Amino acid sequence: MQSLSPSVLQRIASGEAAAVRECIAEYGALVWSLARRLSRTPADAEDATQEIFLDIWRSAARFDAAQGSDKVFIAMIARRRLIDRLRKTTSEPAMDPVEVLETVTWSDPGTASETSLEAEQAARALQELRPEQREVLELGLLHGLSQSEIAARLGIPLGTVKSFMRRGLIRVREYLNIDAEGVWSEG
Amino acid sequence: MSETGPQDQPEDALVDLLIKQVTEGLSPAEQRALDALDSPSVTAASQEFERAAAAISLAGAAPLQAPPPALLARLEVQASSYAAAHPVAVHTAADGVGGRAPAAVVPLAVARPRRSSGSLGWLAAAACLVLAVIGWMRSPSPPLPPVAQVVPETPIVPPAPVEPPGPAEERTALLASPTALKLTLGATKDPAAAGVTGDVVWDPVTQKGFLRFAGLKSNDPSVMQYQIWIFDGERDKRYPIDGGVFDVPANAADIVIPIRAAVVVHKPAAFAVTAEKPGGVVVSDRAHVLVLGAAG
Repeated sequence: MQSLSPSVLQRIASGEAAAVRECIAEYGALVWSLARRLSRTPADAEDATQEIFLDIWRSAARFDAAQGSDKVFIAMIARRRLIDRLRKTTSEPAMDPVEVLETVTWSDPGTASETSLEAEQAARALQELRPEQREVLELGLLHGLSQSEIAARLGIPLGTVKSFMRRGLIRVREYLNIDAEGVWSEG
Repeated sequence: MSETGPQDQPEDALVDLLIKQVTEGLSPAEQRALDALDSPSVTAASQEFERAAAAISLAGAAPLQAPPPALLARLEVQASSYAAAHPVAVHTAADGVGGRAPAAVVPLAVARPRRSSGSLGWLAAAACLVLAVIGWMRSPSPPLPPVAQVVPETPIVPPAPVEPPGPAEERTALLASPTALKLTLGATKDPAAAGVTGDVVWDPVTQKGFLRFAGLKSNDPSVMQYQIWIFDGERDKRYPIDGGVFDVPANAADIVIPIRAAVVVHKPAAFAVTAEKPGGVVVSDRAHVLVLGAAG
C-alpha cells in the first residue's frame, strides 16, 4: 500500500505548490462523485466539492500512509463536510420517499482493491449481508438519507433500520481490522 | 432527522449514536452529550465507524465521474490561491489525532484503531451516561430516572440558542484568514458619496468578502439600489464582475455587506459601488460611481 515516493497529500503537507493542483486531478472525480450523491442539488455539490478540497489541503499533514489509504482519508474528509452541509439544509424539504435515486453498483470484491484495500474489504463484508441490509447501507451512506427517511422509503420500522445499519457497519468494521494477509491487526 | 430511541442495551444506544454521527450527523443535544463523555474509547470507536463508512462509500462510488469543466476551473483558481498563501504545512500529524478542531478544518485521525475487549464495559457505562444526558437535555421538567442522578456531578448547561453569525461577525472572522486582502474604499466626487468611508475584506481562496461603510445614505429600494462591482485583473476591465445589490436602511451607522460575486474572481484588482436602478444592472453605465478602492 505504501510506495517509496511521497504521495500527493504528503507533498502538499511539505508545501509543494504543484501538488495542490495535482490533488484535484488525482481525487477530483472521487470527491465529485461522493458530493453528487450526498448533495441535494448540483449547485450544492459544486460548492461542497470546493469546500472539501480546502479541507483536504488543510488536513494533508495529518495523512499517514502507514495507517490507511489516501482514498479513505479523502472519503472521510468528504463525508464529514457533506454530512455537515446536509444537516445545515434543514429548511430544505426532506427527500421524497419515492424519489428515484441513482442506481448503485457495488464494487466486485475482486476488483475493489484497485480503489483501495479498504474498499476491497468493505465489498467483501457487504457480500455477506442480506440484500435488505445492503439496501439500508446504500440509502444511508451513498445517498445521504436519514434513518427516518430510509424507514419511510422502505416501509420498515425505524428500529429495523438502526439494527440493519448497526450490523452492517460493525461487519465492515470487523473486516477493516483484518490486514491484507488476513491477520487481525490487533496484537 | 430521527432521535435515538429506547434501546434494549445501553451500549446499543451508544453505538447507534456513533453510527448516526457518521451517517447523518447528530443533533446539537446529541453531539453535546457525546462530547461530554470526552473519552478516548468513544473517540476510537467513532473513528472506526467513520472509517467503515468511508470504505463503504468507496466500494459504492464507481463509476467515478469527472467534475464539470466550470467547477474544475474554479478549483484550479482556488488551488493557485491556496498554494500561494500556504507555502508550508499548517498542521502536523500530531495536531489532530483524536481531537476535534474548529468546524472549518476537518480534524482527522485515520489511524487504524485497535480493538480492545476491555473497553466494552466502559462503553456500556458511557452509554448509560450519554442516555442520561440526552434525556436531561430534551426534557428537563419530568422526574428523571435514577441513572440521571449522575448529571448534577457533571453539570452540563444547555447553551442559549446560537444565532448564526451576522455579516459583521463573519467579516471579523474573515479578517483573521491569512489569505484575506483588506483595502480602503475612497469616496468619489459624486455628491451622493460625500462623507462616505469604507473598506473591503476579500479572501481569494474562499471567494468570500465584505464591504463596510459609514456615511452611505439610505436608499429607497423601489427607486435605487447600490450595486457592488469587482474588477478582475485577469478579465476585461470594461466588464467588472457583479458583486450583488444592497440597500442601506434609514439611520444606519456602520453597515457590513457580504459580496456575492457572480463568477470566480481570479485576481481582485479593485472594488466599486454604484447607484443603479432597482435590481441592479448587468453592465453599469457608471453614471454614479460612489466609492472605489484598488488593491495593491
